[in-house]
Amino acid sequence: MLRDTAVRDGRLPRARATVSLRASTRAHLRLPAQPAAFARPSDRAARGTSARAAVLHSALLRSAVLRSAVLRSTVLLVLLVLLVLLLIPATRAFALTTDRVTAAPNQDGGRNIIGGEPTRLTWVGTVEEGEEVCGITLVFPEGCALTEDTYVKVQEMVMTDPQHPLHEELECSEDLTAERLIITLDDPIAAGNLLYVEIYKFCLPSLNGEVSITGSYVDDAGVEHELAPGPSISLIAITGTQRLINSLAQQDWVQAWNSVKFLNIFLNPLWIVAAVPSLFFGWLRSLGLVLLGFPLAIPVGLGIAFLRMSRFRLLRLVSSIYVNVIRGTPLFLQIYIAFFGLPLLGIKPNDYVLGILVLAMNSSAYLAEIFRAGIQSINKGQFEAASSLGMNGVQTMFFVIIPQTVRRVIPTMTSEFILLFKDTSLLAAVGVMEQMMFAKTLVNTAGNMTPYVVAACYYLIVTLPLTRIISIFEKKLAASEGREAPPPDKGEKSAKVDAGKRTKRVGLFKTIAPLSATDSAPMTSTSPERHASE
Amino acid sequence: MSVSKKGLALLAALVLALSMALVGCGGGSKGAAETPPPATGDTPAPAPEEGLATIESGKILVGSDCDYPPFIYMEGDQVAGFEYELALAIGADLGYTVEYLPPQNFDTLIASVAAHSKMDIGFSSFTITDERKELVDFSIPYFDSNQACVVMKGSSYASTNDLAGLTVGAQSGTTGESWAAENIPDATIKGYNQTSEALAALVAGDVEAIFFDEPVAVEQVETTYTDCEIIEVIPTGEQYGIAVSKDNPALLDAINTSLQKLIADGTYATLFSKYFDFEPTIK
Repeated sequence: MLRDTAVRDGRLPRARATVSLRASTRAHLRLPAQPAAFARPSDRAARGTSARAAVLHSALLRSAVLRSAVLRSTVLLVLLVLLVLLLIPATRAFALTTDRVTAAPNQDGGRNIIGGEPTRLTWVGTVEEGEEVCGITLVFPEGCALTEDTYVKVQEMVMTDPQHPLHEELECSEDLTAERLIITLDDPIAAGNLLYVEIYKFCLPSLNGEVSITGSYVDDAGVEHELAPGPSISLIAITGTQRLINSLAQQDWVQAWNSVKFLNIFLNPLWIVAAVPSLFFGWLRSLGLVLLGFPLAIPVGLGIAFLRMSRFRLLRLVSSIYVNVIRGTPLFLQIYIAFFGLPLLGIKPNDYVLGILVLAMNSSAYLAEIFRAGIQSINKGQFEAASSLGMNGVQTMFFVIIPQTVRRVIPTMTSEFILLFKDTSLLAAVGVMEQMMFAKTLVNTAGNMTPYVVAACYYLIVTLPLTRIISIFEKKLAASEGREAPPPDKGEKSAKVDAGKRTKRVGLFKTIAPLSATDSAPMTSTSPERHASE
Repeated sequence: MSVSKKGLALLAALVLALSMALVGCGGGSKGAAETPPPATGDTPAPAPEEGLATIESGKILVGSDCDYPPFIYMEGDQVAGFEYELALAIGADLGYTVEYLPPQNFDTLIASVAAHSKMDIGFSSFTITDERKELVDFSIPYFDSNQACVVMKGSSYASTNDLAGLTVGAQSGTTGESWAAENIPDATIKGYNQTSEALAALVAGDVEAIFFDEPVAVEQVETTYTDCEIIEVIPTGEQYGIAVSKDNPALLDAINTSLQKLIADGTYATLFSKYFDFEPTIK
C-alpha cells in the first residue's frame, strides 16, 4: 500500500528505490533491485513466503518503473510544448532565411574568389511559411565596389512543386550602391518560395579573409526585420599573376595582338600568364607519375626479358603472352579497364597509385623487349669467352652481358621514358589530375586554346633535352662500338668531349659500321612497333 | 617481275577498296543527313528561308554531346531524344535539313558555336547564363530545369551540405560543375567529358556525389543507374536555350520565330509529353 501511494504521488525514481529497499528488508535481507529469478534456489526452497514476497515485489517494481516512465515523458512533453511556444516568436523573426551566399570563382586558372576583382555575387533566401516578403536590403561588407557593368538580377523561385522549381522574373525596383542593395518588390513573394538575387560584375573587398553579408527585409505588414546571418564568403587577396594579367589587359600591344584571331586563340598573352603558374603543378604531377612509374617498370621489364629467354617453354609462353597482350592493346584501353574495372571488383586504389601501376605495367612490356633485344644483341663470343673463363650463367649475365647491354639500351630506354611521359596525358580521361587535366580545366573556363599551347611547352621542357641526350648517347655508342673495346671508365668521359670527332671517324671505318648496325637492329625495331600500336 | 606486278595491282585494288570504304564510313558517321519529316496537315513545306548564313547552304549543322537522355542521346549510331525531335521540327519549319555532327565534347561546344566554322547551332541542353551570353547568343528558352545532386544509394550524405571537402564530379563545362565549384566548400571537383562517365565514376567510387541537370538525373537514376539516388533537387531555375553564333542574328531570329510557332501550335507540347511525364512549363 505504501509503495502504491508513493508511486501515485509521482515521486521520482530515488523515492522508489527507498521504498523497495524497505520492502525487501522486511522480506529478508536481500538487495532489492535483484529480481526473483536471480534469488538463490536454496533461499527460495527454504523460505516459501519470502520467495512469494520477492515475486510480488518485482511485479510491483516493474509497474512502478512503467508508471514513472509515463510520468516522466508527460513532463518532458509539457516542457517541450513550452519550449516550442517560447521559440515560435524567434523563428518568426527569421521568416526570410538565408540559404546561400556565394560568389563565383573569378581567379583565372583557379577556383578562388579574388577580392577587388569583378565576380558574381549570389544571395538566395527562402520565405518561410506564414510570411510574405515585400522588400529586402542587403548590406555589403566595407570595401566593396561597383564596376561600370555591374547589374542586378532578381528572380523568384516558385517552389509549388519541389521537384520542379520554376524561376519567374520579379517586378521590382533595385537601388544598388557599393554599400548596400535595396530591392522593393511590386508584389510580395509568397511563403515557401525563394528569392534569388544575383549581382553581376561586382567587386568584393580586396582582402584575404572572410566577409559576410547582412541585411534586413520588410514583411507584408511593412515591418522591417533583421536577416539571419548567412554563411560567409572566403576571399583571397589579389595574386601577383592576376595583377600582371590585369595590367597586361590594359596594354595596347596586347589588345592589338589579340585582335588577330589566330594569336588570340592560340597565343593569348593573358592566358599564357594565367596558365604558366597553374600548369606548373600539373606538370609536376605528370613528372611525378612517370618518375615513379618508370623505375618500377625497369625491374619488372628485366624480369620479363629473362623469362622470355628462359629455357622453360611455359615461362617463355607466359611472358610472351604478357608482352604481346600489353603491347598489342592501346594504353588508353588498359587505363579504362583498370580505372573502371577494378572498382567494380571492390578494389579502390588511389588514382595516382593506380595510374602509376598502369603506366608501369604498360612500360614494363616495352622495356622487356628492349632489354631482351639488348641482351641478345651482345655478340655470342662474349658468352663463350665468359664461360671459357669459368663463369656460370648468372655470373656471365651480371658481370659480362648486362654491363654491355646497359650502354646499348640507354637510348631506347630514354625514348621509352619520353613516350611514357607523354602517355601520362591519357590519364586525364579518367579524371587523374595531371598536366593535361589542368590544361583542359583551364581551356574550359577560358574558351581559349592557349593553355594547351602552354601545356605543350611544359611537355617539351622534358622531352626536348631528353631527345638531345639520346642523340648524344647514340653518337657515343656508335663511337665506342666503332673502336675496339674501349676502356670502360676513360671511354665514357672522353667520349663526351670529342663525340663529334669520333663519329666522323666511325664514318671512315665503313667495315665496322654495318656490324654495329646489325647489332642494334633488334633494339630499334621496338619503337616503330609502339607507334604502330597506338 | 610479273609476280611483283600482280602484287602491285592487288595492293592498288586494296587501297582503292579501303579508301572507298573510308569515304563510305565518313558519310555514314556524319550520319543523320535527315530529310525533314513530311509536313503534317495540308500546308506544303515552306520554302527555305533566304539569308540564313549557315555554313553549308540548305543545312543547319548541329553540335551536341549526344549523351544527355532524355534530351539527346544515341540509339545505336542514330541521334534521338527530345531536343533531336525539336531540332527536326525547327528544321522542317524553316525548310532546312538538320544535320548532327558526331558527338562533341560539351566543354568545347560554346567555343565551337562562337567560332562559327564547324556548326551553326549548339543544341545540347545549354543553360542560358550571362557568362555564356558573352560568347554566343541564345534562343528563347525551351525548357525549365534545375540541378540535382546524385549519390550512391545507402551513402551517408543527406544533402549537399554534407559534401564539404569531399571529391565530387560533374560533366566538364556544365552549370552543375560551376554550381559545385561555387557552393561546395573545399571540394575537389573532377570534370568528365560526359555525364555517363561521371556516373560511372560515381559507381566506381571515384567521387562521392555528382551534379547535373535534374530531368537527366531522374531519367538516369530511374533507368540505368538504379544504384544511385537523387538526394537534393537544387532550385537554380535554369532555362535551356539553343546557342547560335553572334555572327548569325538572322538564324537566331528564324529559330526564335520557329520555336514560338511550335510552342503556340502545340507541336512542342506533343513532343514534350512524349518524353516527360509532367506538364510543360514553357508556354
